[in-house]
Amino acid sequence: MLERTLPVTNRLGLHARATAKLVQLLSGFRSSATLSARGREVNAKSIMGVMLLAAGQGAEVILRVDGEDEVAAAEAVAALFARKFDEES
Amino acid sequence: MAVGILLITHEGIGSALLTVATRMLRQLPLATEALEVPFDGDPDALLPAASAALRRVDGGHGVLVLTDLYGATPSNLAAKLARLGTPVRRVSALSLPMLLRVMNYADLDLDELPRVAAAGARNGAILDDA
Repeated sequence: MLERTLPVTNRLGLHARATAKLVQLLSGFRSSATLSARGREVNAKSIMGVMLLAAGQGAEVILRVDGEDEVAAAEAVAALFARKFDEES
Repeated sequence: MAVGILLITHEGIGSALLTVATRMLRQLPLATEALEVPFDGDPDALLPAASAALRRVDGGHGVLVLTDLYGATPSNLAAKLARLGTPVRRVSALSLPMLLRVMNYADLDLDELPRVAAAGARNGAILDDA
């Protein structure tokens, strides 16, 4: 199991389109994945789950991935967050 | 194994949901169409158009028909559609959370998708007091 703390830096936070990108990215990996923030842990492969976090800009979320491809999955998710979900230049 | 998705709704609902879901997901993983029923629409008169839409989204593994309001004309039309021969399952209370969840489980077959769709609508209803 791998754990990474990821800052949400895009202006709109984990809104619907960003969440959809995250979920679509993770669906390509076999590992299970959760995100947690403010004491709530959700399935990171579920759009409504991730949106339940209501994580806005400036929030930090904890990613946990578990499975054979967890390293690649964590890297890919961290990169997506770092790229601000490709929303801003 | 891909199921087709047909939205049968009142005017202005199905196509709007489809547009928003497509914007969010960029590309829908399942063949999807929206059929909107006018307020004074006659289910029998609409059946040929609905049947044509059903055949367009059916890839041979059946069609999940999502209606907006159980018991209303669109869902009555969906009931008629289900008797034409193509494997059809129906779920009512179509919403954006339901549609997104169905697309997120695109590899499931027609027997499993109705439960997933219903859970999408249920889980999407949140008492937002936070």
